Amino acid sequence: MYKLSEYAFVAGGLSAILALITSVAYAASGLRAARLQTSPAAMTGRTIGFSAGPRTASIGLYATLLAWLAAAALTASLVFRTFATGHGPFANMYEFSVAFAWGILVAYLWFERRYHQRLLALVALPVAIALMAYATTIPSTIEPLVPALQNNLLLTVHVAVAIVAYGSFTVAFAAAILYLVQPEGGRWGLPKPGVLDEIGYRSIVVGFPFLTLTIVLGAVWADIAWGRYWSWDPKETASFVTWLIYGAYLHARVVRGWRGTWAAALLLLGFAATLFTYFGNLFFGGLHSYAGLG
Amino acid sequence: MADQARTRPVPGVPPADALEEVPLIDVDGALERLWSVLTSMRLALVLILVLAALALAGTILVQAPPGVAADPEARAEWLNQVRPKYGGWTGVFDALGLFAVFESIWFRLVAAALTASTLACSIRRLPGIVMTATRPHVDVAEAFFEHAPHREAVILREGPTAARQRVEATLRGHRYRIIAGSDGATLYADRFRWVPLAGLVGHLALVVIVVGALVGATFGFRDPDFVIAEGSTAAVPGTPGLSVELVSFRDSYYANTGAPSDYASELVLYRDGAEVARQTVRVNDPLRYDGTSFYQSFYGPAASVRVADEAGTLLFAGGVPLAWSMNEGNRRVGTFTIPERDLTVWVVGTGGPSDLVVRPGQMRVEVYRNDGSATPVDAVSLDPNKPAVIEGLSFTFDRELQFSGLSIARDPGTPIVWLGCTLLFFGFVIRFTVPHRRIWIRISRQGGHSRVAFASVGRGDVSLGAEYARLIEEVGRGPAATDIARGRAATRA
Repeated sequence: MYKLSEYAFVAGGLSAILALITSVAYAASGLRAARLQTSPAAMTGRTIGFSAGPRTASIGLYATLLAWLAAAALTASLVFRTFATGHGPFANMYEFSVAFAWGILVAYLWFERRYHQRLLALVALPVAIALMAYATTIPSTIEPLVPALQNNLLLTVHVAVAIVAYGSFTVAFAAAILYLVQPEGGRWGLPKPGVLDEIGYRSIVVGFPFLTLTIVLGAVWADIAWGRYWSWDPKETASFVTWLIYGAYLHARVVRGWRGTWAAALLLLGFAATLFTYFGNLFFGGLHSYAGLG
Repeated sequence: MADQARTRPVPGVPPADALEEVPLIDVDGALERLWSVLTSMRLALVLILVLAALALAGTILVQAPPGVAADPEARAEWLNQVRPKYGGWTGVFDALGLFAVFESIWFRLVAAALTASTLACSIRRLPGIVMTATRPHVDVAEAFFEHAPHREAVILREGPTAARQRVEATLRGHRYRIIAGSDGATLYADRFRWVPLAGLVGHLALVVIVVGALVGATFGFRDPDFVIAEGSTAAVPGTPGLSVELVSFRDSYYANTGAPSDYASELVLYRDGAEVARQTVRVNDPLRYDGTSFYQSFYGPAASVRVADEAGTLLFAGGVPLAWSMNEGNRRVGTFTIPERDLTVWVVGTGGPSDLVVRPGQMRVEVYRNDGSATPVDAVSLDPNKPAVIEGLSFTFDRELQFSGLSIARDPGTPIVWLGCTLLFFGFVIRFTVPHRRIWIRISRQGGHSRVAFASVGRGDVSLGAEYARLIEEVGRGPAATDIARGRAATRA
């Protein structure tokens, strides 16, 4: 099972890399289509939208299929690992990194399906690939659980919920990046700012309740294991900071002067806080320190 | 607060802007200004970000252990410890309270202001939500049907009366409530009209959590470092009449890594001498009795010691937890007193195989008079079951035991916090997943046919847009309709 998990992980990583390359090719072909549109030869009334053009679409389809393949392989890797360890694949930094990458792929595919915006992959896939690359640098050996983690139900649910939240936040981050890199008017064939704003918002609408649940379940577990529901442990505080930033974002979207660029900037800030929360236990110790390497 | 400004838009105007700064309740002068500040979402936004910045400082900067900030000596010592890390900034951070952020006045002020703002915003929004649910704005201007975020119109090959019946039947079939406008041509249909209250509940839940935390801080009790040796019984701090006995302590380790696999304390609780509870307490399995909880926290060695006077009367007998560490020699120490002789005894464990003063298997007793003197009356390293006489008293080290470190807590605020968390989660989930659906419909005669115009609010919500599109399609399915004006629903953007 352990070996199978490793093989599936490698397959997932390679598929994700191929999916990224294909997505870049897809974006590039879109760029050409967009240029054609502005050249006199193409000004014949036939609009060549970004999703139009048969060639572009087929490359895009491959990109999506590869992303699905990567998600399926990572799913298999996590399932095999669960069988090998006997608990949810969330007990150390290696397992959590693979799960995080899985969460990004799934969240990306969900939003891609819903909004038909493949170019989110340009940002989301590199983040997922970076996490998988990071996972290869840390030991993947299976260690038995220390007593504090010996709560299979809460370990699994608390972290699984966090994975969904983090995956959604990565999609929001992708949308915000694509929103912010676009100059006013000029689009390079990227999704329209309005759509990106909507995707960013929808992914926070998914991610925010999940982050809330992560924190609440963390508090429930802390009350059982540590004797208090909240102790300002660095990791729980960092997740609280993340929660506040996304809370601010949800408000910013309905406050004049904060919409658009500033709201998108808050999404970047929120994602920075997410990564800080995620990598935090590597440098700030605290009660979550056992979730570290090895 | 998100989006709730949109609950009662003035049709035809982008709804979120319309009501943002308009107070719904009139209060006089200064109070009114305070109210408008408190209910300003812009202020809430800034407060959230400031709170986030403060909390961030609390994760990045090392936080002083509890109690250090209040004790000037301990504080100075602690600051000297962290000075190498923060250099010249140490004094600045300390002055700003950043080494105890969560107890600092800044944090409390911002948290209090945010709580007040949440409460004020909720109160302000309530009448609007109730109004929208009970007496919605039905009659809208014609322009609304041309500018609403979601809008569409179809031509039905039938008269306005039949068209109206068709529209109403379709909407009722989808469980919409329908209210007719005063002009006879306008209909208002909505569904899930009380959902905006869920958003309000989600916000008020934060206030509930704050209340729970305050209740816990005011009426609760906590001793995170309660130590007790095997075989001992001790009064439970903060809970009169309750005492706890540690019957035994067990620890086990993984053979391959040496990491602890399990540690457990078998506890018995007595109330006024009578046993009331008994449980093996583990890290993820606390003992809870009548509002007081006992958590397994840490553990270590203890010494079973007896002290008898010249006549053989026992002055002390029991386990002494070696709960502290001495820097010198890596030894663990514990202490007990002999009030009859006004003596304090320190029990010192071995520092390991290289310790020549307290050899492995030995236990050292150092006896001090309670007069503040820093030098012991005498100190002897004892072998098991070989008594030594100090100050006329016979000291016996029986054997080594273990002690268990428990965290004891009574927090009456916890149920309130869980209530708040539940409301928070479900409030937001409902608010985000079940949007209040609202559709305005205007039916007009167009030749022998009727024109049915639909309009709705709610910016770029794809699922909502799709639902409206399905409804309209269903309306038009009967008498072959023609779409004449499609709104810019986000699905098609």
